[in-house]
Amino acid sequence: MNQMTDLTGNQSHPMLRVSDLGHRVNLETDTLTILQGVNLEINRGESVAIVGRSGSGKTTLLGLLAGLDTPSEGVVELDGAQISKLSEDERARLRASRVGFVFQSFQLLPALSALENVMLPLELAGIEAPEKRARELLERVGLGERLGHTPRQLSGGEQQRVAIARAFASDPVILFADEPTGNLDNRTGKAVSDLLMELNREQGTTLVMVTHDEHLAARCGRQLHIEAGILTEPEAAREQAS
Amino acid sequence: MQTANKLMSVRRDLRERDVRVVLVALIIAVATVATIALFASQLQRTLVSSASSFLAADRQLEAENGRPIPAEWLDEARERGLETGRMVEFSTMISGPEGFQMASIKAVSNEYPLRGEVEIQRQSPGGERETLAAGPRPGQVWINPRLLRLLDLDIGDTLQVGERQLEVAALLVREPDGGFRLSSLAPRVMMHVDDVESTGAVQEGSRVELVYLFAGAQTALDDYYQWLEPRLEPSHEWEGVREGETFSRSFDRAERFLLLGGSLAVLLAAVAVAVASRQYALAQRDTVALLKTLGLQGQGIGRLYLRRLALWGVAGVAGGLLVALPLFWLLVGVLGDALERPVEMHFDPAALLPALLTALVSLFAFAYPPIRRLRHVPAMRVLRAQPGETGRQALPDLAIALVAVFALVWLYAGELALVGALLGGLVLLLGILALLGLALMALLRRVRGGGNAWRLAFVGLYRHRQASLAQLSVFAMTIMLAAILILVRTSLLSDWQTQLPEDAPNHFLINIGPESVEQVSSFWQEHNAPLENLYPMVRGRLTELNGEPVKEAVSKDERINALNRELNLTWMDQLPEDNEIVQGQWFSGDETEGVSVEADLAQRLGLELGDRLTFTIGSARVTEPVVSIRTVQWDSMKPNFYVAFPPDGGLRDMPATWITSFYLPGEAKGALGEFSRQFPTVSVLEIDHIIERIQEIVGQVTQAIEAILALILAAALVVMAAVVSATLRDRQREGALIRTLGGRQSLLVRSTMLEFAVLGLLAGVLGVVAAEAAVYVLQARMFDGNFRWHWQVVLPLPLISAVLLAAFGRWQLRPVLSVSPMLLLRRLE
Ligand SMILES: Nc1ncnc2c1ncn2[C@@H]1O[C@H](COP(=O)(O)OP(=O)(O)OP(=O)(O)O)[C@@H](O)[C@H]1O
Ligand SMILES: [Mg+2]
Repeated sequence: MNQMTDLTGNQSHPMLRVSDLGHRVNLETDTLTILQGVNLEINRGESVAIVGRSGSGKTTLLGLLAGLDTPSEGVVELDGAQISKLSEDERARLRASRVGFVFQSFQLLPALSALENVMLPLELAGIEAPEKRARELLERVGLGERLGHTPRQLSGGEQQRVAIARAFASDPVILFADEPTGNLDNRTGKAVSDLLMELNREQGTTLVMVTHDEHLAARCGRQLHIEAGILTEPEAAREQAS
Repeated sequence: MQTANKLMSVRRDLRERDVRVVLVALIIAVATVATIALFASQLQRTLVSSASSFLAADRQLEAENGRPIPAEWLDEARERGLETGRMVEFSTMISGPEGFQMASIKAVSNEYPLRGEVEIQRQSPGGERETLAAGPRPGQVWINPRLLRLLDLDIGDTLQVGERQLEVAALLVREPDGGFRLSSLAPRVMMHVDDVESTGAVQEGSRVELVYLFAGAQTALDDYYQWLEPRLEPSHEWEGVREGETFSRSFDRAERFLLLGGSLAVLLAAVAVAVASRQYALAQRDTVALLKTLGLQGQGIGRLYLRRLALWGVAGVAGGLLVALPLFWLLVGVLGDALERPVEMHFDPAALLPALLTALVSLFAFAYPPIRRLRHVPAMRVLRAQPGETGRQALPDLAIALVAVFALVWLYAGELALVGALLGGLVLLLGILALLGLALMALLRRVRGGGNAWRLAFVGLYRHRQASLAQLSVFAMTIMLAAILILVRTSLLSDWQTQLPEDAPNHFLINIGPESVEQVSSFWQEHNAPLENLYPMVRGRLTELNGEPVKEAVSKDERINALNRELNLTWMDQLPEDNEIVQGQWFSGDETEGVSVEADLAQRLGLELGDRLTFTIGSARVTEPVVSIRTVQWDSMKPNFYVAFPPDGGLRDMPATWITSFYLPGEAKGALGEFSRQFPTVSVLEIDHIIERIQEIVGQVTQAIEAILALILAAALVVMAAVVSATLRDRQREGALIRTLGGRQSLLVRSTMLEFAVLGLLAGVLGVVAAEAAVYVLQARMFDGNFRWHWQVVLPLPLISAVLLAAFGRWQLRPVLSVSPMLLLRRLE
């Protein structure tokens, strides 16, 4: 844990720094380049949307940024920690203490109740009184009445709200979301994204989000485009950012 | 971690079908192995004690020279915690109100019998029988019922034995040491050893055999014999249960069968656990990926699932024992019924060890590897399905698991032959499977989809080719194991039945003079009990081997019974039906030279064809070369001879008496009295009670075997269910899709059933072939029987497995058919 505290103490570095990132997978006959030459810096508290066509490499990039996968080349520094230098377990520890996730397909554990699903990361991060915090969060996302329900008893929008509560539960410094509204209808999607942005603002979390939803993308501070594995940032947006 | 652990509460586990299969497999394995081990140890106890009762003790020391053994030997035995007893056996003349009779006396000490019970009748005849663990009191005798008629005696009368008058207190129905010696053929009189001296029948020089009885713990007996052996003289003979007893070989086989059954249970359980836990592990991948994403580390995941395994182990063992103990109790009851006497339940905690080991090995060699690999599931899986596990990763696991389980079988059965035969059968099976699988898949690739049930079935097999092949292997293996057991059981039972048919000879007539052979034969012809095997018999000692005295020619430490006593020699022109020549040739028509020697004796003496044997018969000596070596069926209840001469051969001028055995039904026993009166010099040996005992024992062992077989078949069914349910979810999703896309229900049902039927048929054929191969080895190496093909027994198996699997397939389609496709797809999401 020493390493961790050391990393948090230092606030001078950006939240996320990516240089010369590339990712390839070996297919049966040749190799497929999914990402290449990605350079990126995201500061604390920023909210960033990654947009692009289906198959352009968004999910792959998000996985690499979040340390769920290791890149073929290049460096990802998450909150000052160089991800490819960490072991699998160290990355898990890093995620437990400072990273939150929201997925397109919710990814709640069907065997656990809403409350238990939110408590899980709290316990994994070793946070005290997990149940109290989990209740508060579920009330905050408007599900105070549904604590004991299992995911199967909840609608898609409700499930995603549980997932959002879970993502913020351990007080992450950075939140990754992969098409959080992709499986929801427009109105529900709007409600969910409102909630996400709101909580993000309240908690001062850095947000990195992949989305097809232009409105949602527009609500983020920066928009990044990805096409055929190459990341670009529109001039206007960059100026706005600086 | 509480919540993470909650993910896997016992109740939740039980809702998981893979976990249920693992648990059921474990429970059956533990139950089978524990029941078998407990029962085998009980059986051993019971049978050895009934076998011991053939000696009336665990061991006997015979002093054929009639001189008492040093008192110090008995003291030593008692100091080692052994019980001792004493008998004196001799023949003497007895008399009653009506005439005289040669009788064979057995005088027993107070301790007699140390094992087993004596059965008597206090009222003559047909009165109530009584069993007791004692001999007659001083002053009393118990006599063979035949003597009542021969001497015109009644219970309560006095009988003159030598110079002593003794009271006839009861009729002797059955003595525990009912084996027979040719030296004691006359009707039995049992008396107390303290009365012997007063009869005056035992004098210097009269032929008396002293027998000392010993009973106690195995180790104490072994230690004592170690101490005793160097002190023994040539006229002393130490006899144990296992040697030469009629049924000990049958018992050995039963024991081996039980071991085989247990080993198969171990294998089946391992397979079921392996299949189900692999399935479980696959289903857990998403959960693990999410837990990792949320920050749980590899170690935590490992711990989570290890705790799971431990819990399953505890549940499996507890459940298994809960099943095993009542089952064991029931079997002991059956045993008691078969033996018609209460059997003391002998619970041997050590017998539970193999069951525990089985659970442990199944869990850690078979369930653990796929679960251990869970910690390597990439976290990235939460964002996108990752390439699945390849078979290659599982290969080293398989190797380790195979080694572990065969080590277990070895440890358990202690038979390398068994392990070899099973392993050989499996390797053969897997080899054929690999080839067949490749060929089959190449063939199936050509079949393209269509609306026809057969085509859909073949396409289904091809589409799931990996699963199909895996299922085929497991089914074939399961069927092979079940078939092995069925085959061995069948040949075991049929061997016993041919060995001891209902009408096996149960009476011997001995000492028939040459002049009365004709009359004796026609007497029994008239009484509807024709004599079949009449043989001349000459008593002689083997004294020289190739001109050298036998005792020097044969190494000292080989103790050879045949040398210590007189041998029964015979001549015959035909080889008895149940004998078999293993070396040399049977006498041709007019040959007068040579002898034929029984194979065991030949082996112990190191005899080869052409060796010259010298026999001393009375004062004459005969020397003949060995011309053939043959096996005999000692347990056939027919007269058997170590050495046979040709007619007109070396024995032609020797004084012979005739011997025969024949079957006399219980209700015809009355004829024996008349026979004895008519032929007073012929000895009648009644062994019907011995045969009854043997048949009882065979019967009870058979029942045990059937029970074990049922257990194993249950285990096989669980394996099949485990395997079928492994692809359940995939198949249900496919079924739902086919229905969504407009496929008719009947088509779906027929193609699925066909698919499984084909799988079942193939697996059945493969399994049966491999089983025959394995049994071939087993039969030759373990059950020393002749291999017989039993196709008719196992032929239905492929059909049964085809039908069974088709039914399984139909059954697992149930939810697909009863629920709307929409609901189903959502549920399977
Ligand atoms: N492990 C892999 N093996 C082979 N191809 C892969 C692998 N991972 C990603 N790809 C390919 O890389 C490309 C980018 O995939 P990715 O999932 O990142 O796209 P995406 O932008 O998230 O698309 P969508 O918007 O449809 O989710 C796709 O063509 C995908 O098929
Ligand atoms: Mg994507």
